Amino acid sequence: MHAPLDATPLLELDGLTVGIGGDAAPILNAVTCTLRRNEILGIVGETGAGKSLLTKAVLGLVPEGLRVLGGDVRFDGCSVFDRRNEDLRDLRGGKIGLIGTNAKALLDPVAPVGRQIARVLRAHARVGESEAQSRAIALLREVGITDPERRAKAYPHELSGGMAQRVVIAMALVTDPAVLLADDATLGLDATVQAQVLDMLVQRCRRRGLGVMLVTHDLGIVRNCCDRIAVMREGELIEIENVDAFLRGPRQAYSRSLLEAAKARPTPSIARHTASERPLLQAEKLVKIYGGPFTHQVRALDGVDFSIRPRETLALVGESGSGKTTAGQCVLRLTNPTSGRILFDGEDVTDLSAQKFKPWRRRIQMVFQEPYVALNPRWRVRDLIGESFRLLDPMSRGERERRISALLDAVHLPSSLASAFPHELSAGEQKRIGIARALATDPDLVIFDEPTTALDIRVRAQIIDLIRDLQSRRGMSALFITHDLNSVRSLAHNVAVMLHGRIVEYRSAEDIFATPREAYTRKLLDAELPVEDPPGRATNVSEAIAV
Amino acid sequence: MNVAKLSAFLLRRPGALIGLALLLVQIVAILFAPYIASFSPTDADPLSSTLPPGGEHLFGTDELGMDIFSRVVFATRVNLLISFTAVFVSLAIGVPIGVVIGFYRGFLSTVVLRIFDFLQSFPIFVLGMALVAVLGQEIWSVAIVLTLLFVPMFARLVRAEVLSQRERPFIAAARCAGANDLQIMFQHILPNAMTPVIVQISIAIGMAILLTAGLSFIGAGVRMPSPEWGLMVSNGAQQMILGVWWIALFPGIAIVLSVLCFALLADALRDLTDPRLQGDRRARTA
Repeated sequence: MHAPLDATPLLELDGLTVGIGGDAAPILNAVTCTLRRNEILGIVGETGAGKSLLTKAVLGLVPEGLRVLGGDVRFDGCSVFDRRNEDLRDLRGGKIGLIGTNAKALLDPVAPVGRQIARVLRAHARVGESEAQSRAIALLREVGITDPERRAKAYPHELSGGMAQRVVIAMALVTDPAVLLADDATLGLDATVQAQVLDMLVQRCRRRGLGVMLVTHDLGIVRNCCDRIAVMREGELIEIENVDAFLRGPRQAYSRSLLEAAKARPTPSIARHTASERPLLQAEKLVKIYGGPFTHQVRALDGVDFSIRPRETLALVGESGSGKTTAGQCVLRLTNPTSGRILFDGEDVTDLSAQKFKPWRRRIQMVFQEPYVALNPRWRVRDLIGESFRLLDPMSRGERERRISALLDAVHLPSSLASAFPHELSAGEQKRIGIARALATDPDLVIFDEPTTALDIRVRAQIIDLIRDLQSRRGMSALFITHDLNSVRSLAHNVAVMLHGRIVEYRSAEDIFATPREAYTRKLLDAELPVEDPPGRATNVSEAIAV
Repeated sequence: MNVAKLSAFLLRRPGALIGLALLLVQIVAILFAPYIASFSPTDADPLSSTLPPGGEHLFGTDELGMDIFSRVVFATRVNLLISFTAVFVSLAIGVPIGVVIGFYRGFLSTVVLRIFDFLQSFPIFVLGMALVAVLGQEIWSVAIVLTLLFVPMFARLVRAEVLSQRERPFIAAARCAGANDLQIMFQHILPNAMTPVIVQISIAIGMAILLTAGLSFIGAGVRMPSPEWGLMVSNGAQQMILGVWWIALFPGIAIVLSVLCFALLADALRDLTDPRLQGDRRARTA
């Protein structure tokens, strides 16, 4: 890894404590660490560990209701909290740049992005409008935006997520800061885009010799980008270590559990099939076209074939917009394909009316992507899980209660949660409720839409283990819709790679990871940032850093 | 929701308590008006015309010599009857229409929306006069005019909310659980679309009281000598410049307090019906 050129600390956190005060436990508790020039420090922790608050506190921006209770943040030797407002403004966006999550929401929707970058520069330096514009364009080129003159005139909604993220990075770099804070900067980007953006960010920072604090919950990113890692838990910084040493063996038990959770599980044993066994689900030449004959048409699915045998798991892998979610929706009849057939257990269910399809609902269920929004916020867990009992299998109240607590037990939740509302649950619990709900009818096939995105490392591992366990116990088939290759390794027997509504490669999981045939598959695999080396393959970001 | 929880909820919200107290006052006024009022609300006494407040006539008398206090008390019956009937009948008609035209966005829904446009673009007072000419000058005519005005308002409000709710993933999840269109519309979407409607109820009751007054003023509403707050305010307004302030002031205060009461209650009701806004998030361990 890269050795810092300069050992003097650029940013020093000295026992920083932030909280409401009084008897309440502080939200940041005596955080002490340093950031040196030309160093990338990864800050890792689960939701609620205080990572985002830490980046805000460094800028002297403690949210309303919270106070700095003790300790200090020193930039270039002087305390951030002693500065007057003008000095702080000079610091924020000037000497210290901040890159936030969800770039599209961070940009002003009514101004061209070039002008927004120039605006930041002019707030910190005495430059003319035209010079600021040309510097902005030069920087857009530097962060890898093609045709920057034209893009500078674009409004945020005209940019893709990856491009918007690059613009935000350019915005943070325009004032030549000494320190860069990146708060989950690549969250929600596609894997290939994430790899490109991180790669670019790391190169820029190395070239300029910046000190970077990279806040993330993805240990793969830390392994591939950072020099040192700081692990946070409940507001405390429990371990700070060189990345290499950390990966060899963390000192703290909590860090070890994080690292263990981030590793892929062994591939599930291949389900044994006799040749005569017929597929449970077959999709034949599915085509879905959005838009009418007179408007712009989008071919979301363009002749997709796949089949799933009993007890087998197929993963549909691809980036956003590749049509994988549409394929799942067609199987569930949430949307109707324009042409093509869907056979379930040998019967054509493509054109059944909603009423005729109802008995099939019992056998095909879905676990939705975002756990919270897929649960009716006004219903209690009991009613959410019991909805299909009520609609599909009339049964007595006592029987329903018994089945509900059995289901909660199956997803390892206490039955006391039955009377809770969705907003009272953590993300992991919400996800489990989503799974319990899908299992209620004892289905033969479950479709999992992005089962692991936006979850904390350990919760994600728990969900993967839960799904593996349920599958082996219940013998159900599954269709995985995901872009998280790590979870595919742990769960799928077969993988279908989708691009622009077509399946470009469709083979067994082992084969596809060992010897990818298509260029696009290789690109996807290269973009993965694993915490451990898959045999015989180096990741491209770490190579790029080594140059 | 049990009694202990409800009282704890009320104690955290003084506004809700004031609203409840005002509602209680109005209920008492409606139930016991003949016992509270010392005069008949419709008996004119030319000998005691425009007496200032005090003495025998607590709020004074108007130019016909009718006791204002008695009229204010009795008017509670008339005003709340008209407002509640109009608002709740419009709710019962408008909300289901709104759910259906928001859920199915076809030709028929567009036709219904255009009919609403027509109803809402019609001047309310012209409509009022026309209806009163046909139905006669009854308080029911006023209620019908107001209902015609409020049905499109509630339907549009619900429709707008349904349009955003129907695209949310939990609707797809309900479909997977086997729910049909009716169940999705009325069990899943409607409860989530009611929040702005509950707030609008109070605004509508306030509007109803004011519109009733307006209709009475142009002679398309309640007739003298029926006690009605709006009518009393408009009568008193003419006397105001002569220094006779009490004829308009007391029914005016009654209108303000009544509207305020429903606004406060609606606020509390919104919080009470939304599980997400009940700030007792369970403490949890990681």
